[in-house]
Amino acid sequence: MVVVAGAVLLNFALPRLAPGGPVDYLVPPQAGSVSAEERAELLDRYGLDESVPRQLVTYLGGLTRGDLGVSVRDGRPVRSVIAERLGWSLLLVGGAVVLSALVGTALGFFAAWRRGSGVDLASLVSVLFIDALPAFFVGLLLLLVFSVRLDLFPLYGAVPASEVGGARFLVEVARRLALPLATLTLTGLASVFVVARSALLSELDEDYVFMARAKGLDEKGVRRHAQQNALLPVSTATFLGFSTLVGAATVVETVFSYPGLGTLAFQSVLSRDYPMLQAVFLVLALIAIAANFLNDLVYPRLDPRLRAQ
Amino acid sequence: MTTPAVLLPEPVEPAAGSRVSRPARILGMVGLALLALVVGGALGASVIAEHPPERSVGSPFLSPSGEHWLGTDDIGRDLFAQLLHGARVSVSVGLGAAVLALLVGTVVALLAGYRGGWWDVVLMRLVDLALTLPLLVLVLVLTAFLGRSLPVITLLIAGVLWARPARLLRSQVLKVRELGHVAAAEAMGASSTRVALTHVLPRLVPLMSSQLVRAATVAVVVQAGIAFLGLGDPDRVSWGTMLFFANSSNAVLTEAWKWWVLPPGFALGALVLGLALVSYCVEEWAEPRLARNAGRRGRRRPRPTTEAEPQTEGTTLEVRHLSVRFEGGGRPVEAVRDVDLVVRRGRTMGLAGESGSGKSTLSLALVGLVPDPGRVVEGEVMFGGRDLRRIGRTSVARVRGREVALVPQSAMNALNPARTIHRQVAEAAELTCPAAEARARTGELLERVGIPAGRHHDYPHQFSGGMRQRVLIAMALVNDPRLVIADEPVTGLDVVNQVTIMELLGGLVRELDLDLLIISHELPLLARWVDDLAIMYAGEVIERGPVDQLIGDPRHPYTKLLLSSFPDLYGPRSRLGAVPGEPPDLSRLPAGCSFAPRCPCVGPECTASRPVLVELGAGRAAACFCAGDERVADLFVDPVAVAEGNPP
Repeated sequence: MVVVAGAVLLNFALPRLAPGGPVDYLVPPQAGSVSAEERAELLDRYGLDESVPRQLVTYLGGLTRGDLGVSVRDGRPVRSVIAERLGWSLLLVGGAVVLSALVGTALGFFAAWRRGSGVDLASLVSVLFIDALPAFFVGLLLLLVFSVRLDLFPLYGAVPASEVGGARFLVEVARRLALPLATLTLTGLASVFVVARSALLSELDEDYVFMARAKGLDEKGVRRHAQQNALLPVSTATFLGFSTLVGAATVVETVFSYPGLGTLAFQSVLSRDYPMLQAVFLVLALIAIAANFLNDLVYPRLDPRLRAQ
Repeated sequence: MTTPAVLLPEPVEPAAGSRVSRPARILGMVGLALLALVVGGALGASVIAEHPPERSVGSPFLSPSGEHWLGTDDIGRDLFAQLLHGARVSVSVGLGAAVLALLVGTVVALLAGYRGGWWDVVLMRLVDLALTLPLLVLVLVLTAFLGRSLPVITLLIAGVLWARPARLLRSQVLKVRELGHVAAAEAMGASSTRVALTHVLPRLVPLMSSQLVRAATVAVVVQAGIAFLGLGDPDRVSWGTMLFFANSSNAVLTEAWKWWVLPPGFALGALVLGLALVSYCVEEWAEPRLARNAGRRGRRRPRPTTEAEPQTEGTTLEVRHLSVRFEGGGRPVEAVRDVDLVVRRGRTMGLAGESGSGKSTLSLALVGLVPDPGRVVEGEVMFGGRDLRRIGRTSVARVRGREVALVPQSAMNALNPARTIHRQVAEAAELTCPAAEARARTGELLERVGIPAGRHHDYPHQFSGGMRQRVLIAMALVNDPRLVIADEPVTGLDVVNQVTIMELLGGLVRELDLDLLIISHELPLLARWVDDLAIMYAGEVIERGPVDQLIGDPRHPYTKLLLSSFPDLYGPRSRLGAVPGEPPDLSRLPAGCSFAPRCPCVGPECTASRPVLVELGAGRAAACFCAGDERVADLFVDPVAVAEGNPP
């Protein structure tokens, strides 16, 4: 809750903290001179001539009504533009979070179980290597190989340009989602992998794992015991990784011209569309906060010690 | 009892001076090499590259040539020069932002962890906020409002990066404050700033260095991301901007990707990978516990090829010449040496010795669970007519829990915290019978060991230590094994609990007609519950025999001294004794008798050759050259003289 309030306040403060008056941002000085009257009118229109607390009240009031203002760029309500993009972003980021969690955990557990072996070292180094490549570069490479060379996937967009219906539409959407999703999954993979690996390694040193072996369980049974507990830090890493992936999505969406919130943020920065930018940031921040909250909900389900008595 | 010191897995600790495992060292070296390459490029950029990076020096879209090693971009700038100069941006942003972020993070951590109270609450809320917000987007938005020159971007990145080191360092500060000497300094009234700087700060250095590398990694990636979006410093050429221009002029669609896209991408990759590898190495150095996990497992133990002598009639377990050695890094540690041990049918066997005498390792060796890097190097474990060492790993696993069960040393952690106790016991029962029957039997047995039915589906953390030990006993007995090995079954419990648990265990053993091997360092406890007793010292059995005779008339000086160190509640009052000296270092045992350095009746033969167990009749045996004569019986132990003559 405190964090949400902090995010909202930060969002309110951002344009006001910037050097120069807000009008400079609404109408860039480069765009030509602005007369005093026009200036006053603009200030009035955006309520910027009032005191800061009043502005805050107005801003918060707008938020509670779901009013995020009007886009400077094309005059559309910010809310409807965001609503349009949100679905695509959630599909992309959500999908990447799930996939990277599944693959990262499986790989991490696999490596930990074979600790010190060649397989362990090889997977560790290759995951670190993939992680070292910036997301947009991975995206470019995938684009190069699969779209340009092999012509397997479309180059950009999220929906086909021409009208298609039913199952065909879904297939087209999936084909366009594939590469950005793969890129983002690779981006999120490493952090989950590293956490999963070290979590299982430390669990394997625990007494209860020894006991599981001593009471006669086979290796599979022993592994299940350790993995169940190793999932705790993995779950935290996954949910916290949400925030990183939301950030990375900005760049990845741009590479693939994917119509999500990331490209929207990018375009808003370019076109100095501040109401839009503020709103996008708020929504992304709320998504990240929600992921954190979700983690707090899931954690007790995994760890009985945290369950209410 | 003298100071119980070393627990067994200790020797696994890597030797001093090599806190980092070999694979980590190699990875670290590779990382350093990559970093050196990038930093070298950054420093030598103006010397190596002939062309300026930011001006057009040729026609656009040139392919690589002798003049332009990587060709030119869309407005004729030299790509090779850009690549080298780009390194400067990445290195300076990475270094600058990381140092700044760490500085802020450390100050915040010290304030929060040291001042506590409101400082802590407010600062940690701030950290939560900064950690939750998507970094890249935040920096992106901030650049939109605050400008995008390189110093500003560096500041902004530092401004969002400080939170993670702050959070981690704070918990480290709290941990360090608990340390003895730091708490003492505070108690003596040293000013808190002084304590923070002289005592706490130095202890943060390992974590700080690993966090510095991490922060640098993120800074480099974020800066590249922003530049790639075309939102970086327009006046500076960086790898991100190179990729931005490559992307916007559709280099991926032409041949140019080979020299325009790949080099800056892999350069970024090399820098980040270098940082990641170095941080992996630094983290292991900061937390040597991590190194323990590397590079073990997987070795097959050699199995004896000859046939074993048949097991002696009337014995449940017969151990012959068993030796276990730990070979980690330094000198090999002989944890168990040439041990003979017999558990007779219908008689409870006790195994006593100081901590570190090898008794626990011996018990693990019996069921094939010696932890790495230890290995059974010799001997036979005859059980059920076969040698458990000869039948192979998988077959031993099938014996465990079913025929030989173990009640382990640390009841507190031997249960999986995430599963109910019923499920954990039933899981063992299911090894030998169908699920429904296993559940029923589990319920019965749990009740039998004193856990009310209403609590069977509770989790381990909801039980006390004594209750957990009961669960472990139920777990051991659920498959009707023929032999139960209880390793310090009641250590760590209060005296009342010790008696009830031992009574429970003893009662069940009689009821189910099993044989029991109890391992403990508490002689009085063993004396009360076992029929036969063996005393271990420095990995060897030095005396064994029926318990009454052994306690009444010990033949080995060590046994005698050990006995005199326990008070006798019922017998005549006598002064308490102690075993002089310290437990031996198992990696540097003396040539002769291993007890000789501490023995009050040591003779010249004791340091020359090693005594072996000699049968003394009536099932007794002792490994001492003076076991037969009167010297041991007359041995008077004066604790005062012992303490003065042999300072611990």
